[in-house]
Amino acid sequence: MAYARTRDNSRKPTISVRTLEPDYMVFELKNTDPSSANALRRAMVAEVPTIAIDLVEMENNTTVLNDEFLAHRLGLIPLVSRNAVYWKRPFEWSGDNDIIETAFSLDVMCEQEGVMDVTSNDLVPLEPDAGVVPVNYHSATEKPIVICKLRRGQHLKLVARARKGIGKDHAKFIPVATAVFQYKAQITLSASAMADMTDDEKQAFVHSDPSKTFKFNPITRMIEVENEESYMYDEECVVKARELGRPDLVTIRQVQDHFIFRVEGTGVLEVKSIVRQGIEILHKKCVDLETLAREAVAIAKGQPLPERAPAAGSDMGPGGGHMDQMGGGQDMGPGGHMGMGGGDMGPGGHMGGMYGGPPGPYGGGPGMGMYR
Amino acid sequence: MSGYGTMPATVTMGVPYICGQCGSEISLKPGDIIQCRECGYRILYKKRTNKVVQFEAR
Repeated sequence: MAYARTRDNSRKPTISVRTLEPDYMVFELKNTDPSSANALRRAMVAEVPTIAIDLVEMENNTTVLNDEFLAHRLGLIPLVSRNAVYWKRPFEWSGDNDIIETAFSLDVMCEQEGVMDVTSNDLVPLEPDAGVVPVNYHSATEKPIVICKLRRGQHLKLVARARKGIGKDHAKFIPVATAVFQYKAQITLSASAMADMTDDEKQAFVHSDPSKTFKFNPITRMIEVENEESYMYDEECVVKARELGRPDLVTIRQVQDHFIFRVEGTGVLEVKSIVRQGIEILHKKCVDLETLAREAVAIAKGQPLPERAPAAGSDMGPGGGHMDQMGGGQDMGPGGHMGMGGGDMGPGGHMGGMYGGPPGPYGGGPGMGMYR
Repeated sequence: MSGYGTMPATVTMGVPYICGQCGSEISLKPGDIIQCRECGYRILYKKRTNKVVQFEAR
């Protein structure tokens, strides 16, 4: 990275994995601030690309569910998205070898008496080599997803086209079921306050916490912290301590630079891949922001543009639209390249907020005044 | 009404409808009374298009 440098005041965040399963992961993120932790969480939810059905071509539908309803249901079916990183999104620049779409056909006619299920197993991939199938497709152990139910004589025939997308675009693309973090709790019990409490009072204190954070040790006759992570920050125990006339018995603090993440996947991607991609996306956004901010400053000062980092491409002239190659380009919106309006900024041009084009969903916004 | 191109095929062939009572298929042309020829029922349903219809799965 051309502009990546270490600052003296920069922190070195670390991740340590506590539990890792294909669909579940617990890890600790240390040495960073809550905004960065939340940025990682949001990147995992809304920016990690997956594949989902996006267009449905109905040929025949005599079921009780209408076309739009079924199309929406089909869109929500999770599809194995391991190849999503290699795909292009429909609006991205793509060549002949790029994949942007795959299709499924579904043709079910009910000939039996009674009710028949149309499930995700009835979706037939038209390009089996693409490796995109519904999760648990023809699985021996897991049940498929029911799309619709048919009575005798009812017929459903359609072609469904699946594309790449991100959670920000539509919730059906979100790769995680839950992605949450909590602050590490630091619970300190005062031994001096405990000393003149009766056992009953101690028991009452232990049971005041609804999430079993504390326990009473019958041997030492002391209150102990059993599991500080189970503490829900409900302050029930603090209230109880105050009630017992021992407000100094317990002090609870949120450690603001230590986070416990719990990420649960939906089966479309392995959770370790979701976390990794989330970090990569976050990093890319930071690099893009720094590159563009430096270019904006250079343009404003009338200096030659600094050299681009190799990954960001280099064949673009100054002020050219660098939307398509910048990765986060599509996300940048009209204000993407900081809208510095070419070189027509006079010598007296101030940069306080008046520049910076229409704010896109990302970037743009109120000029780059702070870089002056 | 000249100069508007050829008449649509449906005007000469009629549009098929399904009777709401007996389920039989009736072909109607413009100006025909809306009534089933089999049972006289006056509620008729239009058939689904045989064209493919696209929907966004959103």
